[in-house]
Amino acid sequence: MTLNRRTFLATGAAATAVVGTPMILKAQPAEYVLGASLPLTGPFATAGQLVAPAFALAQKMFNDEGGIAGTPIRFVTEDSGYVPQSTLANYQRVLATEGKACVGYFADSTGAMKLIAPELKGENARLMGSTSFASELANPQTNPYQYISGPTYQDQFDILMQNIKAAGGSKIAIIYSNTEFGRDPLEHGRATAERLGLEIVLEEATKPQGADIPTHVTKLAQSGAEHCILQGYVTGVWPQLIGGARQFGLPIQFHGTFWGMEKLIADRITKEAGPFLAGYQGVMPYRYFYDRENAPRYEQYAALSKAMFAGTPLENYMSTWALQAMCGLELAMKALRDTAEAGKELTADNVAESLSGISDWDSGGFFGGPVSMNNNKIGTGRVYEYAPDTGLFTPVSDWLST
Amino acid sequence: MGQFIQFAINGLMSGAIYALIAVGIVSVYKATKVVNFAHGYLIMFGAYFYFTFAVIIPGQDWAPAWLASWKPDWMVEMREGLSMFSLLGAVLDWAANVPRIICGLIGAVVCNAILGRVVERTLMRPLMGQSVFAMIMVTVGLISILSGSASLIWTADAAFVPHIAPNTPIRFELFGSMIFLFGADIVNMIIALIIFGSIVAMVKFTKGGVAIRATAEDQSTAYSMGISVPKIFSRAWVLASATGAVAGAILATRNGISPSLGLFGFSVLAIVLMGGLDSYVGCFIAAMAVGVLEAMTQWKMGGEWAEIVPYVAVLVVIIFRPHGLMGQKEVERI
Repeated sequence: MTLNRRTFLATGAAATAVVGTPMILKAQPAEYVLGASLPLTGPFATAGQLVAPAFALAQKMFNDEGGIAGTPIRFVTEDSGYVPQSTLANYQRVLATEGKACVGYFADSTGAMKLIAPELKGENARLMGSTSFASELANPQTNPYQYISGPTYQDQFDILMQNIKAAGGSKIAIIYSNTEFGRDPLEHGRATAERLGLEIVLEEATKPQGADIPTHVTKLAQSGAEHCILQGYVTGVWPQLIGGARQFGLPIQFHGTFWGMEKLIADRITKEAGPFLAGYQGVMPYRYFYDRENAPRYEQYAALSKAMFAGTPLENYMSTWALQAMCGLELAMKALRDTAEAGKELTADNVAESLSGISDWDSGGFFGGPVSMNNNKIGTGRVYEYAPDTGLFTPVSDWLST
Repeated sequence: MGQFIQFAINGLMSGAIYALIAVGIVSVYKATKVVNFAHGYLIMFGAYFYFTFAVIIPGQDWAPAWLASWKPDWMVEMREGLSMFSLLGAVLDWAANVPRIICGLIGAVVCNAILGRVVERTLMRPLMGQSVFAMIMVTVGLISILSGSASLIWTADAAFVPHIAPNTPIRFELFGSMIFLFGADIVNMIIALIIFGSIVAMVKFTKGGVAIRATAEDQSTAYSMGISVPKIFSRAWVLASATGAVAGAILATRNGISPSLGLFGFSVLAIVLMGGLDSYVGCFIAAMAVGVLEAMTQWKMGGEWAEIVPYVAVLVVIIFRPHGLMGQKEVERI
């Protein structure tokens, strides 16, 4: 090529443009990818299949809002069968296929989060939310890229125990599934109970499914507990325990944590077995979907659900499990957008820094007011009570923080 | 002492359900020498069939109203003002569900029996004459087929089904301790024991039972004596699936419906090994022993141990009696 004045100027202009373009624009892919593993099969398939549609809703909503700094996003969701090794494999696959375009991941269990944590290094690190409220994960020193989209199980125990104490309770039983999920807040719960002057009269482990209800209820009856906290269950065991205790005539007040607080399950039990869940209480980090007053984000979800899921049960109600996933995605998107707006590349370190800097965030209705990320979690929630006649969980406490 | 009896009864009630599940595994093994790893998933299908016929179909617009809830005027009058956990209240609530419970049980047994027959005809019979190991591997593959099919047909949604019997609370004092029992669990135990006893009697005293035993002893000789071995195979699968349907329905009333019901089969496999793969009586003793051990361990040592101790006992038995408590010594292990 002959170098004349025109070609020199053109080449010079092009070189200047390339050199002068911010790094972020050079590295920016046509679309960003957020991967996810969900238990669409296996023991928690009920929850996985209710959560899956939330990702389609989120993709449309976030893209309608301009994605991340104008770049659209795409979710890649895969089944894990609730097997942590499968989630790890899914994560590695999305990294291999999408490379740097993958800017975040949603895992489906505490086990998966722990298994993947050591992999989150250098080029393989991504921001990672999950279905887990495991206390161990809420530690930016050991798990800088992983976060909890609400209070940990320990926080939830604290909230419940504060509420029990405020209600004048003194003797409590803790019944939990013999899983990592069930055992998570036990030690912390003992310390909180001691601090609050509550006596733990029974700690009872059960099978996570197919528990021997008569035996557990017999022990509960013998314990003399006034309150019983149930931890580590999703769809089964907790309703049977409450039903069994009511049949025994035990006047114990039952309390659950997040995964045992789904209205759909409580409604189905009431329909099939009667209104014995009356008075069942539990801690919920978020408002229920039907509580949409002053919750503009929930209103947006409702409008989209009506359009996207017309003719299905999802048209009018979003499960608490789906809300938890949505909250996790909202937090991830906020961190990603904040990072992009600051002109930084969407590396795991930059995004994690933005995430931990989230302060006084107006979630649009998830929580009672503005919240902040503290130790990669949001330690707030309130206690709700179920009424079988209305089929609603309604708040019985203020928003409590830990 | 009262408490000991309380937990022993709780354990026996669980043990009876284990025995009902085990009977299907033993039946198939006795006739075909195949250890059916998929038996838990056949039970899961039985539970879903019960759910279909007791909940889904009665809930359809075209189904007669009495099928979903049979409440004649006299029953409504009697029910008024009664608590759902009072003796009469619980019985009346159950009575309103009787039509759909019967529909559910009949539907579950028939459909599961058909399923068992289809599995035997399409998957097992073509392998007759091949290595038993191949047939066992087919049952492992069947687990994926059945669990995947259940998710496709019924989705993974958790659901609940009506109790087979009135779930009235039963209280009485014994040795100074108050004993609490659930009415439905006692009836479940009785149903399980009756089915178990009937099968054992059938195998012992009927012509068909003799044919099963002869086939179990030696297939070639049974053939030469005019016994239709394929028919025996088929009967064993149908019997296992039909009893599995009742077991599934009972499990569903205790735990709700979900795909995880299929996992029960694996814990019962250990019990069958303890009792002896080809011994109904051995399995019955093992099932009751494990049920009671679980309850006692739960009582004295807590849930962490309850999942271990009974299976340590199973291991100990197998170490000292590799053929199980009452299994035949020449039985080939896998």
